[in-house]
Amino acid sequence: MLKLDNLTADVGEGDGRKTILNGLSLEVPAGEVHAIMGPNGAGKSTLSYVLTGRDGYEATSGTATLNGDDLLDMEPDERAAAGLFLSFQYPVEIPGVPVMTFVRAAINAQRKTRGEDEISAPDFIKKAREIGQKLNIDADMLKRPVNVGFSGGEKKRLEIFQMMMMEPRFAILDETDSGLDIDALKTVADGVNALRSEDRGMLVITHYQRLLDHIKPDRVHVLAKGRIVKSGGPELALQLEKEGYDGILGEVA
Amino acid sequence: MTTTALKNPSEAERQLAERFARQKPEVAQKAAFEAFGRTGLPHRRMEQWKWTDVRQAVPELAPVTADADTTIELPSNAVKLSFDGTAWTIPDELPAGLNIFLISGGHDFAQADALPVGALAASMTGHSGKDMLMIEVSAKVDRPLVLSYHGGDDAAFSRVVFVVREACHVDIFEHYSGGSGFSSFLTEFGLAEGASANRTLLQEASQQEVTAITTTAHLETKAAFTQSALAFGGKLCRIETHLEHKGEGAEATLNGAYLAASGYHTDFTTHVTHGAESCVTSQLTKGAVADGGRGVFQGKFLVPRTIGQFTDAEMQHQALLLENGAEIFAKPELEIYADDVECEHGNTSGQLDEDALFYMQQRGIPKPEARALLTEAFIAEALEKAHEDVRAQLVEATRRFLRNQRGG
Repeated sequence: MLKLDNLTADVGEGDGRKTILNGLSLEVPAGEVHAIMGPNGAGKSTLSYVLTGRDGYEATSGTATLNGDDLLDMEPDERAAAGLFLSFQYPVEIPGVPVMTFVRAAINAQRKTRGEDEISAPDFIKKAREIGQKLNIDADMLKRPVNVGFSGGEKKRLEIFQMMMMEPRFAILDETDSGLDIDALKTVADGVNALRSEDRGMLVITHYQRLLDHIKPDRVHVLAKGRIVKSGGPELALQLEKEGYDGILGEVA
Repeated sequence: MTTTALKNPSEAERQLAERFARQKPEVAQKAAFEAFGRTGLPHRRMEQWKWTDVRQAVPELAPVTADADTTIELPSNAVKLSFDGTAWTIPDELPAGLNIFLISGGHDFAQADALPVGALAASMTGHSGKDMLMIEVSAKVDRPLVLSYHGGDDAAFSRVVFVVREACHVDIFEHYSGGSGFSSFLTEFGLAEGASANRTLLQEASQQEVTAITTTAHLETKAAFTQSALAFGGKLCRIETHLEHKGEGAEATLNGAYLAASGYHTDFTTHVTHGAESCVTSQLTKGAVADGGRGVFQGKFLVPRTIGQFTDAEMQHQALLLENGAEIFAKPELEIYADDVECEHGNTSGQLDEDALFYMQQRGIPKPEARALLTEAFIAEALEKAHEDVRAQLVEATRRFLRNQRGG
């Protein structure tokens, strides 16, 4: 499914340009959920932006493919249409564009790129209502402009709402747990777990173990200085929680 | 001799003087032309016209080939009036409470000195008995009144005077769709106590046309005037509104959205005088300008001492430069002499938020579409108070415009 091979990437421009990813290799097979943990500055968010194609985050060598398709060669919207979804660490406000309008435009744009028919209005509304109920998102919130005036928790729930509406083939969750209280964390995790399936992969980027109590990863990778320095089963997350990054990093260094 | 009032006339001014000389003007029309003659066609050395130089844009009066204009679907019950550049056509049957008169002869235009292009319209109309209307509203008229302006060869002038009687109401949609090399349209509103008018205006013109749409409005006690204008500009387009609160507790909303493609110039200028206590003015102007386009916003609130007490006024101008090479000129002014007032203003020009664009792209929306969606939402806010029968169509016209811009 997602395959990164010796990926190197720079961030910034001119004199401020820095190499943040430094030979990162990783494979997440279909049907699996992997977690990436790592200290601040390890390159976690950079990884999510390089994969989704944000301006200023440029892969300089190595490859990144999703089901064999070269991600790095595509525009951000083409990557989305190919099935790549990023739940943003800091979801962005879209003034004047109501959630329903936005999500429908996005779904239809993806479908158009893939050469599929548009989603019908009744199907769309029915699906939005059902998913909204699961995530405690009421109809009023779906009429408001995207993320404008939303609390941190509401923004994160809306990211998961969009993910469930779009049913991506591969989802990256970038610090989705930050800003969530215990109940919201449970709601969000339930949403993510509902999407787990044999043909879908996920990459959960997090600082802390607590999200992984709810979303059980198949594998855990430790990212430091732009590369994966250690990989293991779910127990690695617990070890990190106990020993801290210093302990683990000291061990591999 | 009125023509001598013009010093060193340009070819266009000479043609205008000739056109005026062919009429048999009465005192008021002569006075209006003299007022026009004191400045001639306004030009950049006049403070109020420094960004919108009409004299330069109209070297001579010349006809244009009119572009196809936007078709607006009107509600079936609309009362339709149309102006072809020379004469008004009025429906035979009018709803109760609406009287429309074709006027001939001179009628004073009190603000002639402040509004030279409006004065020109006042001087040129009322001679034929076909180009000046008085519209009297003496009920709450529930059918929208539609005024369509299209055509006029090398020059077109019209004058419309609305008299809205006490506690009466009218909804108006004006569609200016060009067809004349140079045009000046003057509309005057007098709103009596408790009267209200909701005016929606759409302006379009080709890149060869110079259009001036001048409006004055007088609001008596507790009168309410709401204006929502969407303008696409032309070679030069000036939409100028001078409003005066004359009675306590009057309320005005002056919203506008200007769009300017390459080679287009769109100017919104407003002047609001708070000439009575406890009046409210709310103004929101939005703009979006492409490479090679120019947008102008000049807004002024004048709040005199004593009579302007307890004024509540807010002016916001927000503009988007869609591309490098777009130009926006803005001058918001608050001139406040009263001491117990709430007046605010804000003025921003910038570009679309890159973070928002990336977020939308990540969800699958291609960048040009994301730009159009964001810009449309930005502009639409200024059209929220437009008449509900046409609001969606105005937003649609905005969308079409944005789809045609390159972005970048």
